[in-house]
Amino acid sequence: MAEIATVSTAVSWAPRGAWAGIAQPGSFGATGGAGVLATLLDGFGLATLIAAPGAAPALSRIVEARLGIALPQAPKIASGQAHDAIWAGPDQWLLRAASRDGFAGLLAELAPHGAVSDQSDARAAVRLSGPRVRDLLAKGVMLDLHPAAFAVGDVALTSIAHVGVQIWRLADGPDGSVFEILVPRSMAGSFWAWFTASAAEFGCAVTAAPVAGPR
Amino acid sequence: MSGQSFRLVSGGLVDRDRALNFSFDGKPYRGFAGDTLASALLANGVRLVGRSFKYHRPRGVLSAGPEEPNALVELRSGARREPNTRATVTELFDGLDAASQNRWPSLVFDLLSLNGLVSPALVAGFYYKTFMWPAAFWEKLYEPLIRRAAGLGRAAGLEDPDHYEKAFAFCDLLVIGGGPAGLAAALAAGRSGARVILCDEDFCLGGRLLAEKREIDGKPAAEWLAATLAELENLPEVRIMSRTTVFGLYDHGIYGAVERVGDHLPEPAPHQPRQRGWRIHARRAILAAGALERPIVFPGNDVPGVMLAGAARTYVNRYGVLPGRETVLFTAGDDGWATARDIAAAGGKVAAIVDARGEADPARKALADKLGARLFAGGVIEGTRGGRQLDGVTIRDASGATMALACDLLAVSNGWNPTLHLTSHQNGKAVWDEALQCFVPGTLPAGLAVAGSAAGHFTLGQALEDGARLGGEAAAEAGLKPAAAGPVPMTDPEATALQPIWRVKGAKGKAFVDYQNDVTDKDVELAAREGFRPVEHLKRYTTLGMATDQGKTSNLSGLAIMAEQTGKTIPQTGTTTFRPPYTPVAIGALAGHHRGKEFRPVRLAPTHDWSKEQGAVFVEAGQWLRAQYYPKPGENDWLTTVNREVQAVRAGVGLCDVSTLGKIDIQGADAAEFLERVYINGWKALPVGKARYGLMLREDGFVMDDGTTSRLGDSHFLMTTTTANAGKVMQHLEFCHQVLWPELDIRMVSVSEQWAQVAVAGPRARETLRAVVDPAHDISNEAFPYLAARAVTVGGGIPARLFRISFSGELAYELAVAADHGDAMMRALMRAGQPFGITPYGTEALGVMRIEKGHVAGNELNGQTTPRDLGLGKMMSAKKDYLGRLMAGRQALIEKDRPSFVGFRPVDPTQRLRAGAHFIGIGKADIMENDEGYMTSVAYSPHLNHWMGLGLIKGGAARIGERVRAYDPVRNGDIVVEICSPVFVDPEGARLHG
Repeated sequence: MAEIATVSTAVSWAPRGAWAGIAQPGSFGATGGAGVLATLLDGFGLATLIAAPGAAPALSRIVEARLGIALPQAPKIASGQAHDAIWAGPDQWLLRAASRDGFAGLLAELAPHGAVSDQSDARAAVRLSGPRVRDLLAKGVMLDLHPAAFAVGDVALTSIAHVGVQIWRLADGPDGSVFEILVPRSMAGSFWAWFTASAAEFGCAVTAAPVAGPR
Repeated sequence: MSGQSFRLVSGGLVDRDRALNFSFDGKPYRGFAGDTLASALLANGVRLVGRSFKYHRPRGVLSAGPEEPNALVELRSGARREPNTRATVTELFDGLDAASQNRWPSLVFDLLSLNGLVSPALVAGFYYKTFMWPAAFWEKLYEPLIRRAAGLGRAAGLEDPDHYEKAFAFCDLLVIGGGPAGLAAALAAGRSGARVILCDEDFCLGGRLLAEKREIDGKPAAEWLAATLAELENLPEVRIMSRTTVFGLYDHGIYGAVERVGDHLPEPAPHQPRQRGWRIHARRAILAAGALERPIVFPGNDVPGVMLAGAARTYVNRYGVLPGRETVLFTAGDDGWATARDIAAAGGKVAAIVDARGEADPARKALADKLGARLFAGGVIEGTRGGRQLDGVTIRDASGATMALACDLLAVSNGWNPTLHLTSHQNGKAVWDEALQCFVPGTLPAGLAVAGSAAGHFTLGQALEDGARLGGEAAAEAGLKPAAAGPVPMTDPEATALQPIWRVKGAKGKAFVDYQNDVTDKDVELAAREGFRPVEHLKRYTTLGMATDQGKTSNLSGLAIMAEQTGKTIPQTGTTTFRPPYTPVAIGALAGHHRGKEFRPVRLAPTHDWSKEQGAVFVEAGQWLRAQYYPKPGENDWLTTVNREVQAVRAGVGLCDVSTLGKIDIQGADAAEFLERVYINGWKALPVGKARYGLMLREDGFVMDDGTTSRLGDSHFLMTTTTANAGKVMQHLEFCHQVLWPELDIRMVSVSEQWAQVAVAGPRARETLRAVVDPAHDISNEAFPYLAARAVTVGGGIPARLFRISFSGELAYELAVAADHGDAMMRALMRAGQPFGITPYGTEALGVMRIEKGHVAGNELNGQTTPRDLGLGKMMSAKKDYLGRLMAGRQALIEKDRPSFVGFRPVDPTQRLRAGAHFIGIGKADIMENDEGYMTSVAYSPHLNHWMGLGLIKGGAARIGERVRAYDPVRNGDIVVEICSPVFVDPEGARLHG
């Protein structure tokens, strides 16, 4: 069969992030100061990393050489300049880059030592802070997030409103604890429905983090 | 507007500056902030508040707490109407609209009170005795009649307009109950820095301190209470939760609690839930729930105006309400005397004190004299007068002489039962304390301690001491250094001597044991006579202890009377095993956010919004919403739409989202070996860049799932699963790897969420794709043949994957891009396919086309079929072992006449086929023995212009050409069908390779 002349497709291939049509900047709920601040994260790079048998040290060495962070051996997040290594199970991690192209050649370099899979589009991510953030999270997270029980840098794989999530605690901000949550993309809508219902009584301000670099 | 004629001019904890308007049965009244509905009704002289369950007898307020069996009302109206609410714990709010229940036409004139006249027919077990014949009448006549007559409140019947939440909390110490014991415990633990949660069901903390005139350290108890609360509120790790009932104790120190966030408001405040269900994880817990007072069983003990003595004290001291102008006290112990004292102090008249114990000591005599009350030591109440309101009582004195005395309040005191319910939620049995004459907590669940009255330590001094000690222990348990413990506060003296009386004998009239279920002492006697003696039988036969109050005021009297009837002691007779919840919990508080559309998470494909824009109708597929079909204006039934979609695909090109299919990335040196073991067919020979259809079995040999798997590299595969089984297959593969073959060098991860994938099918599919895939990639038939699977780019360098696979039987591809580009991919394909009439199609058209092609799907992969059953026996490799191989070869599974897969068409082409119809030989009777199999899938084929079906029938393909009945008694279907090949369209597969 002969090749057919191509039809021009003047369609934009602009990406549509995981929060599109679900969440947008603005505010909702009680007025008079936001008790919860939500920052929608988009445009980051994300990959799962599973070590081949015995190859975890090799992976960690490469990551450390390239990013200056070691792969955590416990449920922790290790943060570098523009990258994070997030524990995701025994010999499993998530690597996050501030921008979609932020891994450069790293993933290819890691591939011989384990399975590397791009998951940049697979998760919706949000950063939560504000004076009432722990009261909000208490409505969904069945783990103890008290500062003494869930320290800065701790990571947990758990669920919120029957949605499997990965949650970690970043360094405290001006209002205290700061958390980031990854949600499966397909369930971002259900997560957001829980979030808006639960955060409304505290008042919530939603912003979108600027997207770093090209996607 | 009626005046609050029973409100004291001063005193109590109500806010007389904040009057609240409310109505009861449509009549307006006024109360104060701090009132309960019960206290406000009593303040207004309203005594009759409900009708009893069975006999429709007038009933009034018995208690001042959660144990209330009588004063059950409906609150609010419309969708917020809430039945069976206890007026004694209902916080009054402005505009509260309450109504009595179980009466017709009105509370005062209740026609069903005639039930009382036929009461001999309504004794214990009457259901079983009276309504036995004819049996058919039970469901249609008797039960509805009984339900109407013997009812409680009415449910709203409308959707609850309010939001509910669930929440989780963690603490070193959970204190259950905010009375003196609980406060002392929270303080002791809180001072040492422990994380403390203090829950109290009341809207005010303080417990009995609110209801009693007591002194602590020589000052009114209210001062200690205020200082304690102030200190607790300043401790950062102490959380005080009022209006919160801890209703259950579960495994591992987990407690269930319900916080009534908005119950005290006409409707919840903006953005607030009505209630919040809490799951509290507590390292330690202290039950400081206090005690519940016990009534006495005597004739007429249910007339409105008969009240627990402790409750009468609560109304006087806490609410500033005199529950009667002329009081008689009937007591079995010292505690009741405090009621007489407090009523007199508040200006009420105490006409008589009937103390069932023998000769009174001089101090009591002196107190009776001081109160101006006649004292009947060793006397009892043997009857009451009054219908809707108490008019007087009959007293039998120690000599046996009886006399009538006018009164409008009879306060009854018979000792208290520790509120030990939570101690038995883990099957702990309460034990009888002979000295205290009550059950006390027995073996305690791990981590739980009991303080104060809940432990049978009934004095205020003991409560404070218990609390301080146990609170300190809990802090130490949490590894904290106990704060310097000050001396336990001193309290004023109190007397707690008691000789309980379980019933007054030798008198006539109905004497109620269980008010809520209208169970009398005679019913318990009857149960004993008829052999229903074990406590569980007693409960079921008489209904004693059932319904919303769960026998909080009645269980012990019932046990005691049964003990007396059988000549046993109370502990020999038995006890109650309390189960959660302690008090009723609304289902909404347990469901929280998860109701309606939020019942469980919904999964949306990256192309969802685009499909919505195209007017798609969605269908649930597992958790996913998938486009089912895309109706166009003017298409009035789904079949018209689906026919159009099918024809468009077969004639030109269509596109259908398949992002929902499970996608599992499998990497590692042994990846091919792994596939060999989980699939029935071979994989090692699959070249890189090719896809293959695979079928996997469960360990028992039945088909588990199917899908195409592509080889992306030597040691890199991408498996697809069906939408519904994606999670199950992932679990299965993890099990296989981790448990069965841990030695295999493989790694798996789900990439289902990462990719947006679309099927592009139809003779013009390649031309359409040509305009989307970047020109550098040759996708000609030669370069990209059937089952090719390769990385390409689209839109000028965007990474994509292209698979030439087909479910429709047409020339077809699946194109995948990262999810962020899914929406753009659909638009690009629509634009590119426009010249060919590209048409979006949904799962219905997908189903029609797969049936036309005889492909199996969920209906056939139903957990009861083997590959052989499905005509896929040839795929079962003989050259290797694989999961399920041996079990699939079991004798019964390879029997020749086991139903197997074929097609069916109606002999009369105008007739419709029905999935689920069973096959029976023509002329044979429609009985099980003649069943030959069943139709699994049907669809109308716009290609054939008639219905077609797939199914499983004995003999299978060997019977092609035979005719059988497709018998469908459920839908009155019985038509003749012909067995045919399951492939209805393009049996040669020419289109596929076009």
